[in-house]
Amino acid sequence: MRNLYIRWGGVCIIAIAFIMLTYNHYRDNLASLAPRQVKQEAPAGDIRVLGMVQGGTLETRGAGKATFALLGESASLQVQYEGPPPDNLRELKILILIGRWNAATQVFEARDIGIVPNYGFIAGAYLLGLLPLALLLFAMSRRVYFLYDEIKASKLYEEE
Amino acid sequence: MGKKKVGMVVSLLLVGGALGYLALGNFGENVVYFFTPSEVKAFSTDYYQKKVRVGGMVVEGSLETYPDRLGLIFQLTDGEATIPVTFEGIPPDLFKEGQGAVVEGYWSGEHRFESNLIMAKHSEDYMPIELKRAGVELPRKDFMKSLVE
Amino acid sequence: MTIHRVIRKVQRFQGWFGGGAALCLMVGLYLGLIGSPPDYYQGEVVRIMYIHVPLAHTSLLGYTVLAVGSLWYLWKRDPIVDNMCQAVATLSAVFTALALGTGMIWGKPTWDTWWTWDARLTSFTVLLLILIGYLMLRTFVDDPEKEARYGAILAIVGFVDLPIIHFSVEWWRTLHQPQSISMRGVSISSGLLVPLLFMSVGMSLLFSYMLMVRTQLLYLDRLLHAKKGRLLSQFHLSKSDS
Repeated sequence: MRNLYIRWGGVCIIAIAFIMLTYNHYRDNLASLAPRQVKQEAPAGDIRVLGMVQGGTLETRGAGKATFALLGESASLQVQYEGPPPDNLRELKILILIGRWNAATQVFEARDIGIVPNYGFIAGAYLLGLLPLALLLFAMSRRVYFLYDEIKASKLYEEE
Repeated sequence: MGKKKVGMVVSLLLVGGALGYLALGNFGENVVYFFTPSEVKAFSTDYYQKKVRVGGMVVEGSLETYPDRLGLIFQLTDGEATIPVTFEGIPPDLFKEGQGAVVEGYWSGEHRFESNLIMAKHSEDYMPIELKRAGVELPRKDFMKSLVE
Repeated sequence: MTIHRVIRKVQRFQGWFGGGAALCLMVGLYLGLIGSPPDYYQGEVVRIMYIHVPLAHTSLLGYTVLAVGSLWYLWKRDPIVDNMCQAVATLSAVFTALALGTGMIWGKPTWDTWWTWDARLTSFTVLLLILIGYLMLRTFVDDPEKEARYGAILAIVGFVDLPIIHFSVEWWRTLHQPQSISMRGVSISSGLLVPLLFMSVGMSLLFSYMLMVRTQLLYLDRLLHAKKGRLLSQFHLSKSDS
């Protein structure tokens, strides 16, 4: 029985270490701001903004150049994009923009445009897939040990 | 004892019902999960104002949005016929021109499909964006061809 | 050849299955969550594939084992094969349910719906119903021999669902995408294929390991009950004698 607990202790430690490793890997990508927050707080440096491209505002000028308004819950943000032709840029689409907020011109200068990464769904799927299996396996292994013990203790056991 | 018999019957019914559903029920060839635009165009009036699903490819360059409200207009094609689709609401993240989509809604007499649900259909090829930009094509089932067949 | 000898031989390698599963899953999880690029179309969400597809294919593998085991039981009438069948049915049911669950979680961000009744999703739900029915039937039959026999017949009949699940995406129009690995070739680029393969092998090994543990559990349980029963009846006999 002790062996079982030691083994599963090891599994838990590895699992926790792995979760921390993964979390660290994605931490920088997890937080995103709403357009309202950007306008109020005017953060410096690279930030990620989440919002929807407002209908009727998208204007593309040549390859890899576009302007549009990014709509949040209560505010919208003027965005200017320069870079490789964006695959996902379209009106009425919820997007994540990476870039900097230019407080002087009140324009968000986007460097990269991507679809919402949905990390919550990914984490949910892996937890749903792996956690029940681990719990079931642990319960079964423990029961096998108990059964062996019971068979020995009740003197039903006979060497064959 | 009676309880056990009931339990047995219930479990057999469960399996029998499930298999029966597969064999004869609303499954397989009897019900088509979605119609193609060609089939929709050939709809008799019986199908008007009846909730149906239509699958096809969103025609490149056909997507239009309203300036004042949430909604889309686009053309859905199966390679042979094309129908205009209107949609109210926010489309799925993966909804895109040149990609597959299944829309649910009503085919009205005015030959316009009014949809209230869009499901984005993705293909079975997976690769990083760099490969896609480099023009790599992986073997996959031709969605258009499988619709027309 | 007795199945007992085979089982004892395989049992000796049980630890290897468990260890192999842990190793493959660890490598697969690292590659899947950290070491692989996002998909060109789905983005990061494609990572759900590495957990969903292995669960789904392992549950199909599990049902195949159940059908073969049931045939074997009907032929040889060996109780340990029946224990194995019962164990594999429980595990397949769990894997099927988890495959459906992870599939729903994948469906929401990609298709924009949790559930739809297309041919693949329906036939897979039918598999879960068949397995639940099988397990229910087993709990409701008193005679262990009959229980095993009825169960085996049910499992073999239910096998018709497997080709339907496999070919549903080729035969009918579905929302679910077709097989990525098929006669057409492999339509997953290597960067995304390697984590999938590691997770698939790991999940199959994990399933085998769990199957060994569960078969052992059921066998010991039955042994304990049989011996206890015998002891009790002896006790009763000696009581009535005196």
